[in-house]
Amino acid sequence: MSTGWLLRRLFLVAYTVLVVSVLVFAITQVLPADAAVTLLGENATPEALAAVRDRLGLNDPIWLQYWHWLTAALTGDFGHSMRTGQPVAPMMLTALSRSLLLALLSILLMLAVAVPLGLWAALRQGKAADLVTGFISYIGVSLPEFVTATLLLIVLADWLQWLPATGYVPPGEDFWDSMAHLVLPVLTVSVIMVAHVSRMVRSETIDVLHSDYIRAARLKGLAPRSVLLRHVLRNALLPVITIVALDVGYLLGGIIVVEEIFALPGIGRQLIVAITARDLPAIQAGALVMAVTYAVASTLADIAYALLDRRIRYD
Amino acid sequence: MTAAPPASPVLAIENYSLDYTLRHGTARVLDGVNLAIGKGEVVGLVGESGSGKSSLAWAIMRHLPRNAVEASGRLSLGGLDLRGLDAKGLQAVRGKRIGMVFQDPSTALNPTLRLGEQVIEVLMRHRGLGRAEARDAAEAALAEVELRNPTALMRRYPHEASGGEKQRVVIATAFATAPELILFDEPTTALDVITGARILELFARLRERTGVAALYISHDLGLVSRVADRVSVLRQGRIVEEGAPEAVFLDPRHDYTRRLVAAVPRPHRRLVDDAAGGDTVLAANGLSVRYGRRRLFRPPPPPATKAVSLEVRAGEILGVVGESGSGKSSLARGLTGLAEFDGGIHATGRRLDHARQMDKAYRRAVQIVFQHPDSSLNPRMRIGDILARPLKLYGGALSDIPALLEQVRLPADYARKYPHQLSGGEKQRVAIARAFAARPSLVICDEITAALDVSVQAQVVELLLALRRQHGTAYLFITHDLNLIRQIAHRIAVMQQGELVDLRDAAAIDAPDAHPYTRALIAASPAPVG
Repeated sequence: MSTGWLLRRLFLVAYTVLVVSVLVFAITQVLPADAAVTLLGENATPEALAAVRDRLGLNDPIWLQYWHWLTAALTGDFGHSMRTGQPVAPMMLTALSRSLLLALLSILLMLAVAVPLGLWAALRQGKAADLVTGFISYIGVSLPEFVTATLLLIVLADWLQWLPATGYVPPGEDFWDSMAHLVLPVLTVSVIMVAHVSRMVRSETIDVLHSDYIRAARLKGLAPRSVLLRHVLRNALLPVITIVALDVGYLLGGIIVVEEIFALPGIGRQLIVAITARDLPAIQAGALVMAVTYAVASTLADIAYALLDRRIRYD
Repeated sequence: MTAAPPASPVLAIENYSLDYTLRHGTARVLDGVNLAIGKGEVVGLVGESGSGKSSLAWAIMRHLPRNAVEASGRLSLGGLDLRGLDAKGLQAVRGKRIGMVFQDPSTALNPTLRLGEQVIEVLMRHRGLGRAEARDAAEAALAEVELRNPTALMRRYPHEASGGEKQRVVIATAFATAPELILFDEPTTALDVITGARILELFARLRERTGVAALYISHDLGLVSRVADRVSVLRQGRIVEEGAPEAVFLDPRHDYTRRLVAAVPRPHRRLVDDAAGGDTVLAANGLSVRYGRRRLFRPPPPPATKAVSLEVRAGEILGVVGESGSGKSSLARGLTGLAEFDGGIHATGRRLDHARQMDKAYRRAVQIVFQHPDSSLNPRMRIGDILARPLKLYGGALSDIPALLEQVRLPADYARKYPHQLSGGEKQRVAIARAFAARPSLVICDEITAALDVSVQAQVVELLLALRRQHGTAYLFITHDLNLIRQIAHRIAVMQQGELVDLRDAAAIDAPDAHPYTRALIAASPAPVG
C-alpha cells in the first residue's frame, strides 16, 4: 500500500462525497416543497413569502444556490432546521453518534457470535450441528427486522421485564441505564447480521479447509489447533471484512425501522422526521453525513484488507 | 543399485487395497499393492492420472477422503503400523518421520504467512526448538537447499518468491526434521524445465547427503527412470511391473508399460519426415505485445514480447519453446488478436497493423487451441453446440459435426454430451475439432498437452499429425517440452524474456552455434534412458 494509493483513495472519497452532494442538492430542489411556505405556513401573504425567498437566496440561479450551500457545508454549516430553527449540523451529528454507537456494539456482538458459529458449522460440515445452525440462520436472515424486534420486545421487555422496552439514555448520563436501553436494538440488528455473516464465515472456512496449503499444514504434523488458528482463520476471515464494511452502510440507512420501534433518535429516525416535515437543510445534511460515513468505512475496510493480505498491493 | 526389494524396509506396503464408496457402489482404487522402500532408496511410482498413485500417497500419510474404505493390507513405517495410529500418533509421524513435497508449491504454501514462519512452525513442533533456535535452524535449512540469501527469503510472502524458490522452501521443510521417508508428488510438474532440472539436481545432492528414503510419484516414466533406484508401474490400482529403471524402460514386460515407454518423447525419434516448404501462411514483423492500457501519468508496461519476427510456411510445424514468462503465450495472443500489438502481421495476402483489422477471413485462417480445455470450453454448452458455432460462422453445415468428431476420433454421440462428462484428453480433442471446424491454414497450439498425461499427450500429438497430413495445416506449436518439439517441428523458435533468441531447423537445434539459452534448455531436458 503506497502513500500514492492512499492519497488517490482519499481523493476518491472526496469525489464521491462531491457527487453525492450534487445529487442530494438536486433532489431536494425537485421535491415539491417550497421552503418559504414550509417556514411561514400555508396562510402567509405573498409579500412575506417573497421577502423570505429573497433572504434565503431562493431567487438566485440554482448553481449559485448550490455553491453557497456547498461552501457553507464545508465549514460545517448546513443551515438551520426549518422545523426547529436550530442549526442542522450538530443535530445530525448527535443523531449519527447514537447510530454509530448502535452500529459498533452490534458489529462487535455479531463478530463475537458469527465467527465462532461459522467456524463451528464449517468444521462439522454436513452434520446435524451444521444443518441446525444453517436452518436457524436462514430464519434469522428471512425475518424482517420488525418481527425480530417485536419478538424480542415481547419476551425480554414484556414477559420477563428484564429490559426497558424503548427510549434512549446518553451513555454520559447513566452508563448502565444507557446500555440497558441499547440491548434490545443491538440484539435485533445483530440477529440479522449474525445470520448472514456466519454463513459467509462458514463457506469461506470450508473453501480454505479444502485448499492445498491446509492439507500441507496438516501433513506437516501441526496440531489441529494451530492449523485452525494460524492457517485457516486468517484466510477465512479476510472476505468477511468486506461484508462488515457493507454492513456499516446497512446499519446507517437500513435500521430506520429498528430505531423507530425502540424510539432511538438515531440518524435514520432524524431523516424520517426531516423528510415528513420537508425540512430541506436537515435532509441534505443527513444524506451527506451518511454518504461520508459509508465512503470512509469502505476505505478503512480496503486498508485493513491490504494490511492483512500482503498479496493485495495497491499502487 | 539392485532391483531386489530391501530386507528391512523403511516403508513396507503389503497387499494394500483401497475402495472409494460412490453413489452407485464402490470403486477399487488400489488393489493388492505391494511395495517396499529400503534405507536410502528412491522408488519411483509411475502411472497415469486415475491410476491410484496419489491415493497411495494419501494412504501412507493417512489423509484419505471420507468415502475411502481400506479393504486390506498393512502399511508400516520401520515396523510401526501406520493404520493403527490415533490422531496424536499420526501428528508425531507426519512432518517428522515422513515428509512430503507437493506438486504445486504455489498452492502448498499459505499465502498469508511469511515463508520463514512456515518452516519455523514445523521445527518448533517436531524438534522441540524455541522460537529463536527454530529461526536459526530454519535459516540453515533454507541454506541447505541452496537458496541464496535465506535471511531475506524468510521474511517474504509466497507471492514474493519464484516457483523454484517456493519449491525449495517446501523441500527444506520436508528435510528439516530429518525424516526417514519423503514422498515426492510430481514435484517438478508445475515448474519450468530449467527450474525443474535444478530441483532434480538438488534432490540428488540432498539424497546423497542425508541418505533419506523416498517415494517419487510421477506420470512421466522418462523422468522417474532418471531419479529412481527402482520403478513400480501402477495401472488401475495394480502394480503391473517393477524393477530397475533401465530394465523397465528398455525392456518393458507389460503391454501398458510398453505404451508408457513409447509415449515418452524422445528427441531423436522424428514423427514427421516430410520437409515443409511453400508459401508463407503468416509472418510476424517486429511484433511486440503489450498488456494494459497506456495511462496518463504512468510509464507503459514493458512489452511481453519484444519485436518478434518469424514466419510460418504452409504445412509447417514451427515450434516455440521457452520457460513461463518468456512471452510464448503472449505471441499467440498477439497473433490471434486477443492482445493488442505493435508491429505488423502479414497474412491472407495483406498486412495488419492492429488487432481490430483482423476480419473473418483472417480469423478463419488462423485458429487457436488453448492449454486448458476446462476453461476454453463453455461448461453449459453441449459439445455439438460448441462445434456448431464455428461451423455457422465460417460457412459449414451442422451435418458436419459427426465428421468433425470422427476426425478427432470421438464417437458421434459425444455431440450430446457436456464438457464435464469428458476426460481431459477428450476435451482437448473437442477443442481441436472446434479449431478445425473453420478449415484453418494455421492452428496455434498453446501448450495444449501440458495438462495431459504423457500417454494422452502422445495420442493428441499423433492426432494433430494425422490432421496435418489430411488438411496440410500448419502449426505454431508452443510448448515447454523440448524433447517433444524436437520430434515434430520443422523449425524451432526459442524465446527468452520476450525476445526471440534463436530460430533454426529442428535438426540443428543442438548445433554448437546455438544460443546459450537454447543449449541450457537442451541440457535441462535430458533424453530419457535408452
